[in-house]
Amino acid sequence: MTAVVEAEGLGKRYRKLWALSDCTLSIPAGHVVGLVGPNGAGKTTLLNLATGMLAPTTGTIEVLGSQPAAGPAQLARVGYLAQDAPVYAGLSVADHLRLGAHLNPGWDADMARHRIDQLGLTLRQKAGKLSGGQRAQLALTLAVAKRPELLILDEPVASLDPLARREFLQDLMETVAEQEVSVVLSSHLISDLERVCDYVIVLTGSRVRLAGPVDELLAAHHLLSGPRRDPAALPDGLEVISASHTDVQTTLLARTGGPVFDPAWTVSEVGLEDLALAYMKQAGGRGDRNRHLEVQK
Amino acid sequence: MIWLTWRQFRTQAITAVAALAAFAILLVTTESHMSGLYDTSGLTTCHGVTCAELANTFLQTLSSGQSFPLLPDGSNTYVILYFLSVVVILVAPAITGVFWGAPLIARELETGTCRLTWNQSITRTRWLTVKLTLTGVAAMAVAEAFSLLQAWWAAPIGKAVGLGGSASIFTEGRFGPFVFPTHGITPLGYAAFGFALGVTVGLLIRRPIPAMAVTLAIFAAVQFITPLWVRPNLLPVTQTTATIKAAQANVSVFRPPTMAVTVGAVPGQPGAWIISSGFVTAAGQPAGTVPAACESAIPTAIPAAHSRRTGGSVVLEKCLASHGIRVTESYQPVSNYWSLQWAETGMFLALALALAWYCMWRLNRRRS
Repeated sequence: MTAVVEAEGLGKRYRKLWALSDCTLSIPAGHVVGLVGPNGAGKTTLLNLATGMLAPTTGTIEVLGSQPAAGPAQLARVGYLAQDAPVYAGLSVADHLRLGAHLNPGWDADMARHRIDQLGLTLRQKAGKLSGGQRAQLALTLAVAKRPELLILDEPVASLDPLARREFLQDLMETVAEQEVSVVLSSHLISDLERVCDYVIVLTGSRVRLAGPVDELLAAHHLLSGPRRDPAALPDGLEVISASHTDVQTTLLARTGGPVFDPAWTVSEVGLEDLALAYMKQAGGRGDRNRHLEVQK
Repeated sequence: MIWLTWRQFRTQAITAVAALAAFAILLVTTESHMSGLYDTSGLTTCHGVTCAELANTFLQTLSSGQSFPLLPDGSNTYVILYFLSVVVILVAPAITGVFWGAPLIARELETGTCRLTWNQSITRTRWLTVKLTLTGVAAMAVAEAFSLLQAWWAAPIGKAVGLGGSASIFTEGRFGPFVFPTHGITPLGYAAFGFALGVTVGLLIRRPIPAMAVTLAIFAAVQFITPLWVRPNLLPVTQTTATIKAAQANVSVFRPPTMAVTVGAVPGQPGAWIISSGFVTAAGQPAGTVPAACESAIPTAIPAAHSRRTGGSVVLEKCLASHGIRVTESYQPVSNYWSLQWAETGMFLALALALAWYCMWRLNRRRS
């Protein structure tokens, strides 16, 4: 498994504030990777470092085996849709396509035109007059028509309404299916990613809390509920991620490593959202890496 | 990249061409009348002292108000046009620096569009190189075009002033603080510097509007400081001493017996730029006070409004001369005009290149 993004001890400081510190992670190729984390986890900083928009204060980052934005060739291999989908308000849709064609040797003009037609955008329309969803689509067109090997999207749907959000993600999936491109997209809304990602990374306080293929992660975690009991009396081989207790019942979200056959527990599947939230909560945002059982009284 | 630069610069370019066209129309419509006046003024065939008189008459005609029927009676068309055109050339580099330079990077940073452009298959260095070169050269071309047009139009005025004429605002020779930076090649230097300054300030402040204000302030300060403290030191000056009469010196006395001098000419060096002057004794020592023997010659009638006594006291000047007081002058001969033009232009071009290099370095090193 080769890595599209490989970071080691990566840190970025703005004056005195660390936006990202000591981040080590590896994002595998050939996936649609969801980068999940609460606001301020360092997602945008990480992606800006990966695209070379920022230079790291500490540590190293390699994208597709090279330094980000090292030269025209490296830039051509990475497509980036920045947060809020920046476009030139004064330029028309056609101007943006021309911009893409002039600045990218690998520009796929047919594909760009086809996408614009499909999206129902008028070529003469000024980008400043587009809706949020259309703007994001236009920016995505610029990012994919350069035919990158890696597509990085920073909160691509955060500002879109639910319908536009669904359309955007669907369009993204179709595009990804047509081109063999690795995708990394960040969001603080896991429900968005659930539909499109097959690999997830949970980032909290610059740390990777959880990383892996979605289906494996879901298979390895379960929700267990049963009569209230002493945490010490839990079966072996369970790693409890979160636990909640009522007077009579205990509910655990645990990494089980596989199916659980303890008749004392009612075992059920866990959703990606609950799973990610549990890991974020566990981290507590304090950089605490120890995974021990936390009993709430 | 050339296409994108042009696409983003199109509106400004059209504005500049329109301004240039309006300027050209104003000057072209009045030029033939003025050069006609010059041809009939007798200045083309004059000799010696009569030239200065004829030049004066010519310049007075230009500023008389009835000289040209373009504007309502009583308006000094040529005075207004001359003043306006000089101001336009002085202000053009500031305008291009403020409106073309300052937003060049700052607007991309503010709207976030740099994140779009800098993620195309093109390095920032190349992006900035193309933008700086094309827009910068355009700014220089506009400033120089204004200057050349004005120089062509004002040629009769320049010749008349060169022949010793002086009337209304037509008094500055080629080295004058408003003439020197608006003629020759200096507009190129100022335009390049103003533009690079705007780009740099925009990169540092990251917001176009404040960047524009700061650019304007710095550029205006530079324009003010240059003739006072920079230009006099760009090239080594020539030193000479002359008699009070030959130097056309005017003695002023403040708080007697302290005296000062203003000189009108360097003997044998017509049109020279006099940078500084002072009195010296026969022994060559600086003389700042009226010798005791001449104190009785200081005019006593002091106008109440003035603390300084001027008024070409011939008696005093004669007395000073008879006591061996002479005038020392440091000046730039007229033959150094182009050397000084090159020195000033070169200085501003070098500054512009240094600023451009800094922008490149910062854009790559500190990323957005």
